[in-house]
Amino acid sequence: MAGQSDPHLSIFSAPEVEFLAEDEVIEIVPNIRMESLHMICGDFGPFFPQIAAKVPLWLAVALKRRGKCAIRVPEWMSVERLTQALEAERESPREFQTLPFHYVEISRLLFDHAHDDIPDEYMVRSLIEDIRDVRFHKVETGLESISGRTHAVKLKNLSAMEVNIVRPFIIRTLQAFYKHDSPQMIQQPEATGNRRSQVADRGPRRDLRPR
Amino acid sequence: MYGRRASQLLGELAAAETGQLTVYNSDTFDQVIKECNEHNVQLQSLFRKMEEQNLDIQTTRNEDYFGAVIHHLSLARNKRCLMAYMYNRAETIQSLRWKIGKKLPQEIQEKLSFSEGEYFKNHSAAIDSYMSELDLDLTVDMIPPKDPYIQIRVLDDIGEVSLGDLEISLTRHSVHFLRRTDAEQFISQGLMEEFLG
Amino acid sequence: MEEEPMSVVFQVGANGVGLLDPGSETNNVEKGAKVDLPFWLAHDLYLRQATSINVPACFNQKTRKEIQADAACVDLRMRCPYFYELGCKTVPLVGDKSIGSFLLQAFSSRYKEVLSKSHSTPTTTASKFLPRLTKEETQLFEAAQSSMASFKKWRVGGSRLEKASILGKKRKTTLPIDPPSP
Repeated sequence: MAGQSDPHLSIFSAPEVEFLAEDEVIEIVPNIRMESLHMICGDFGPFFPQIAAKVPLWLAVALKRRGKCAIRVPEWMSVERLTQALEAERESPREFQTLPFHYVEISRLLFDHAHDDIPDEYMVRSLIEDIRDVRFHKVETGLESISGRTHAVKLKNLSAMEVNIVRPFIIRTLQAFYKHDSPQMIQQPEATGNRRSQVADRGPRRDLRPR
Repeated sequence: MYGRRASQLLGELAAAETGQLTVYNSDTFDQVIKECNEHNVQLQSLFRKMEEQNLDIQTTRNEDYFGAVIHHLSLARNKRCLMAYMYNRAETIQSLRWKIGKKLPQEIQEKLSFSEGEYFKNHSAAIDSYMSELDLDLTVDMIPPKDPYIQIRVLDDIGEVSLGDLEISLTRHSVHFLRRTDAEQFISQGLMEEFLG
Repeated sequence: MEEEPMSVVFQVGANGVGLLDPGSETNNVEKGAKVDLPFWLAHDLYLRQATSINVPACFNQKTRKEIQADAACVDLRMRCPYFYELGCKTVPLVGDKSIGSFLLQAFSSRYKEVLSKSHSTPTTTASKFLPRLTKEETQLFEAAQSSMASFKKWRVGGSRLEKASILGKKRKTTLPIDPPSP
């Protein structure tokens, strides 16, 4: 599916990333009685009023929009947990905090379709915005350290949407550096007797972190 | 300079916004072909001159030979530019089937040469026959879908249309609730828009 | 890129191609004539040992000094829009490997400038620095801009189904609330 919206670039569009996020499982509290649903991705239900059930996000949103359930907001989306996360993000300029891989998409879907189920909605919304900003700034600072010796970029704990945003830029950057730092282009200062393996010669893998 | 006009042709492609189609430039295209013939005439005459002097074309490296080489290279260069021009346009034309649909609006038709129009028709027919074999419309849901039905507003007088088992009159500014797959093509053609009430 | 002019010296004479040498009186190019040829022709003639190639002006000492002084401020597009590409293809022809290190140095120092402007700056404020970028740098910049733009569009929401971009832009109304149509 990657690149369906633009066959020339093998990247996901934002709606495509959201589509992937919709497979994440979330808890709902139905207000109806319904038989089990047998889907390709698995069976869900049966559903009983006021008894929590786990379903994929797309199903939760579909039921919610028809007024058939309330969505239980995941724990990481509480004001308390998000405040902690934001502080931790600010305090550790070298690392990204562990957040759900699809936190950007999940939170947006919930804001759009289940905002009445989110306690302190505005607070949660602005905390998530702040966290994203801080993290993105970190990514940018980290990208400064890319050089000719970089041949892979390690991004621990970065989320799907965040990776997706910087992917086109990073790919082009790495290609450009790789091209300009190839042995055909640059005189190798080391003596030829010093034969190291080709892999070691490309320099260490660089963690994407500010120095 | 040799090859200059051909590269101007490619410059037109490069200058256009990505994904946009420019008007087929048959004038320049024909001029480049003429240039090619010119190069060919010169090339032949230089070779003839060498043959008249009883020189072996394979091994002689004189002024005539290098002149011929330059004409040959220019010819090849022109040819390459023309192919690139055609190829790039063909790619865009293929994508039209996915982006707009079977019928091309006037503004696009005007930009195509005759053979490009034929190419689109045949390409489109090939996709259609493949899809009918699969019994699946591959051109819908290019963007991950949300709901099977959407509300739309008609932007232009479309008239009576039959959608599946439904006969519907699409007049300008009217709002309808349609199957998304039925509406998608009208939206991409700019005849409707999704109406988020 | 292959149209970029290269200054070459003919090592042989060539008949019937006087057009290449504006100074030539006859329809021929003499041995030793100094001519500007597009890269594609210069390259192939070099492979046939018919010409020798001079290092293009954008890789001379003056440009190198300017890059060393303040890489980000140099208008490389004016010097050669295909600066890096031409550089890469020139190295094997002129046997001057210092061009390679120069390209890497230029790219590394200019890259930071592109990076700092690419994701978070609106295009309008970047307009002062954009015209200085080479083709390759512009593509890098645009890759970042467009992916950020599509993310922002997604975050705002609204209709996803749109008129195909290849069609004219007139009557572009994709926002949920439209001005009343006339």
